[in-house]
Amino acid sequence: MKKKIGVYVCHCGGNISDYVDVEKVRAEIEKDESVFLSKTTMFACADSNQKDMVTDIAEKQLDGAVVASCSPTLHLLTFSAVAERAGLNKYNYIHANIREQASWAHSDDKVGATEKAIQIVKAAVAKVKRSNALEPFRVAATNAVAVVGAGIAGLRSAIQLAESGAQVYLIEREFFVGGRVAQWDDLFVSKETGKELITRLYDKAMNHKNITLFTGAEIIENSGSVGNISLKVKIAPRHMKLDCNEGNLGKAIEVCPVVVPDKFNFNITTRKAIYHNFPGEYPQLPVIDIENCTRCGECEKVCENVDFSQKDEFLNIKVGSVLLATGFDPYEPKNDEFGYKTIDNVVTLPQFKRLVHYCDDKLVYKGKEVKNVAYIYCVGSRQVDGDNKYCSRYCCTATIHAAITAKKKYKDLYNFHFNRGIRTYGKQEVLYDESSRLGDIYLQSFEDHPPVVSKEGDKTIVTINDILTADKTLEVEADLVVLVTGMVPRQDNSIGSLLKIPRGRDNFFNEIHMKLRPVETVIDGVTIAGASQGPKNIMESMNSSLAAATKSFSLIASGELSLSPTIAKIDVDNCGWCGKCDDACPFSALTKTDVNGKLVAAVNESVCKGCGMCMPVCPSNAIELIGYTDNQIESMIDALVSTD
Amino acid sequence: MSEKKILEYDVLVVGGGISGGEAALNLANLNYKVLVVEKDLSLGGKMIALSKVFPTLDCAACITTPKVSEISRHPNITIMFSAEAKKIDKIGEHNFEAHVHQKPRYVNIEDCTACQLCEKACPVSVIDEYQQGLVGRKAAFIPFSIASPRAAAIDIINCTLCGACERVCPTGCIDFTQTDNDFIVKTKAVVVATGFNLFDPLKIPRYGYGKYKNVITSMQMERQLAPTRPFNTILRPGDGKMPDNIAYVLCTGSRDKSVGNPICSQVCCMYSIKQGQLLMGSLPMADVTIYYLHIRAFGKGFNEFYDQSKDMGVEFIKGKIGNITEKENGNLILRYEDIEEGKVKEAEHDMVVLSVGVMSNSEISDSFQGESLRLDDYGFINQNDILASPAETSIDGVFVAGTATGPMDIPDSILSAGAASAETTSYLRRASL
Repeated sequence: MKKKIGVYVCHCGGNISDYVDVEKVRAEIEKDESVFLSKTTMFACADSNQKDMVTDIAEKQLDGAVVASCSPTLHLLTFSAVAERAGLNKYNYIHANIREQASWAHSDDKVGATEKAIQIVKAAVAKVKRSNALEPFRVAATNAVAVVGAGIAGLRSAIQLAESGAQVYLIEREFFVGGRVAQWDDLFVSKETGKELITRLYDKAMNHKNITLFTGAEIIENSGSVGNISLKVKIAPRHMKLDCNEGNLGKAIEVCPVVVPDKFNFNITTRKAIYHNFPGEYPQLPVIDIENCTRCGECEKVCENVDFSQKDEFLNIKVGSVLLATGFDPYEPKNDEFGYKTIDNVVTLPQFKRLVHYCDDKLVYKGKEVKNVAYIYCVGSRQVDGDNKYCSRYCCTATIHAAITAKKKYKDLYNFHFNRGIRTYGKQEVLYDESSRLGDIYLQSFEDHPPVVSKEGDKTIVTINDILTADKTLEVEADLVVLVTGMVPRQDNSIGSLLKIPRGRDNFFNEIHMKLRPVETVIDGVTIAGASQGPKNIMESMNSSLAAATKSFSLIASGELSLSPTIAKIDVDNCGWCGKCDDACPFSALTKTDVNGKLVAAVNESVCKGCGMCMPVCPSNAIELIGYTDNQIESMIDALVSTD
Repeated sequence: MSEKKILEYDVLVVGGGISGGEAALNLANLNYKVLVVEKDLSLGGKMIALSKVFPTLDCAACITTPKVSEISRHPNITIMFSAEAKKIDKIGEHNFEAHVHQKPRYVNIEDCTACQLCEKACPVSVIDEYQQGLVGRKAAFIPFSIASPRAAAIDIINCTLCGACERVCPTGCIDFTQTDNDFIVKTKAVVVATGFNLFDPLKIPRYGYGKYKNVITSMQMERQLAPTRPFNTILRPGDGKMPDNIAYVLCTGSRDKSVGNPICSQVCCMYSIKQGQLLMGSLPMADVTIYYLHIRAFGKGFNEFYDQSKDMGVEFIKGKIGNITEKENGNLILRYEDIEEGKVKEAEHDMVVLSVGVMSNSEISDSFQGESLRLDDYGFINQNDILASPAETSIDGVFVAGTATGPMDIPDSILSAGAASAETTSYLRRASL
């Protein structure tokens, strides 16, 4: 038991001391004879105080330390590091939370909050008295990263990781890389088209010896933990042999009798069952859409490279970290949402952009020339009734950019923007300004009163109660209605479920800390980039993918990881292997092993997270959690409920 | 002048705010030796001075201080305070030479215990910039309570050299013999993270800032809401009364060509909404009205946060403020166009907060006297390849992080700093290959 414990009680500016009498807490704790030193401090986390603590611990040779302050999620690591700098093993530091658990929770009861804070600190002191010095486990880290998704974010992360010196497995579920950006022509703030940008990144990635690209590929199994993650990848065949002859391929596509909607063009055009996304896409090899293929064999007759014998391949890879850049889905409007699919000239923004791509001199939709375009904003975003409460961030700018592009491309085109308050934040503002100068008309609806799209005879009318003209009811006859659809999380979350990545209330992947750790997740070793974390434009996706690459790489850069020693420990004498711990373990960290002829449980140290799920199910109480032993926890409970 | 000391590092980071700090940490964690040059007396930039941050309402001090201490104690990071990179020459690839000028603090940081006896002894009172001029400080002072390092400094411009501080200092750490220091820093790459300036509302005289005491800036309100606030409550400066009807004027200095700034500052809507929520907590009886053109609640969780503020009772009026006049009792009359009703109206408030915008702070570009560091149309550092390598500048080997590239919030600054450190890593590795 320790006898020289230091206790620091933090004011947290006033966050604690406005409600908890911190001096009283300190005075109560001082009575414990194991407490050698007790102090109050304005901000325990401030650098100057950290320095004081280091001096105290080192000079007074303290054998344990407690800081009573905020939640350990904020500052446990801060003060563990203080202990280490002072030469005190960090497991002899115990954190007491008297802010979230006392001052903030009981701001209406100062006396009660103070009493509770005293009990909490007493419990921490009881624990630290029984704590032991522990050393982390060191494991080798594999210098490789799996990047999931080869859209703009995945491609850029892969290049960055490769340039940093890591091996990269770039795993793309589709048969072509480039994700959404490959579908766009002109981009905002650039002279490049989406295709050109993707080409540039693809060439750079493919010329780097550290990058291996898999298309048609998905991760289907995952085991291990940060530093040493084993993944099983399923690779679907293209049904095409490599080294094709372009001429024959063209013929093969020509003879294919199967015609299906082309998803690359958001179904406004069709394609064959053997297809490329566009001429010169990457990889530059078509694929056979085996789900729609009728195996008629026509393509085989004209092209020797078709190969129906190809089968799924499976590959096991080992990586140190996984970077998820799985992107988003465009919101798919419901039937009859603003006339979608019920009124013949209603399309989504992505469809409109592909339409503009295909129409050269005149904008024509379903055989009719388009002069008046009505854009309806916030479709699937900022929903008053639906679940998507969030703003999709990119769409105001994307729409204005698309409208300007169309206006400059076609003569006598008129744009009408039915918006809910334009959000061209930052430098994007100049685009809004430009569009206004070009004569685009902006109409703004009330939050709970969206515009209405209706059919009157052969005319499509958009009606709005317009804020900008003091609630006048205005009508526009539109040749084309463009629904500005937002970004929604991927409907298929299989990779998220497999890796157990939590999702936020908007259902995008959730970061560990919204402000300061936006690309890391609660799963060690897994980072998130681009729109998988939330709506972003291209530049923001780039920043996020580079930041994620940095964080993933820094995990494996030194070739070694140190893992927490606070994991389960088996008492071999008491264990008689019943398997209940194995059933309870969410990480498959427990295995059956033979110790001197006796079957007992064994803990895989690099997989165990120390969650403690195995402990209560053990019938013979043969499992202890290092750092949270029964003895420690019971002493804390005693301290919490003691009345003296 | 004495001979310049020569120092060598892998990376020079200019600016020790949250972006510069994050970039420095990322690089230091990859084992590069980093020098951070900070012109102020503390790390943490603008963020460390904030109250709480949107939309999580995390206490800014609580999340900034651990980051700042991580930076200051990292073995691969050296920090120079009161220092500026006056001249940066690119000699060749992976070879920069920076002339760094450091002003004396007149205090030996290692010996200072921040006991504040010098502050008590100092007879000179001046305006406290950190508290945004709401209160005063001494000429011998600790910059602010959570400054890193927390050590005294002498404001030599205002100091009368009376020697009172020196006499009371128990550790003898005050040293008036300190002189300017000049260093030549040899470095392989440079990260520019010089942040932004807040718009100066004196440029819009019709809002009455500087003339009417109860018209304050959003940063002044930020300080009044922070845990280390000067008054421990919200007071209007004119007469020290607690306000109960507060107005926010959004787009002060943003989206306004008449002041030369056509772009949106990206953060003012959200920080004003946040302050509105915090005011509802601090002054439960007070009314808060936000006058806006468009609410730009675009980021993760922002729109939900905006909705929440409406539910809490913050009032939003879509309208542009024409002018502000003062009544005899110090209350203010706002003349504005109510866009939803199509009328010009007047409203009385007892305190007005101007939500000032984000302006460029790119003086650093003057330091690049050889190859020039290009700026964009708004005076921010130009991003050379914005859609593929957003941290790249017009000079190969010089990268940019955070609000030096344009207005952005904290998570975007962290991402941008991540990008700058990533691209710097690639550049440095090209040197070693």
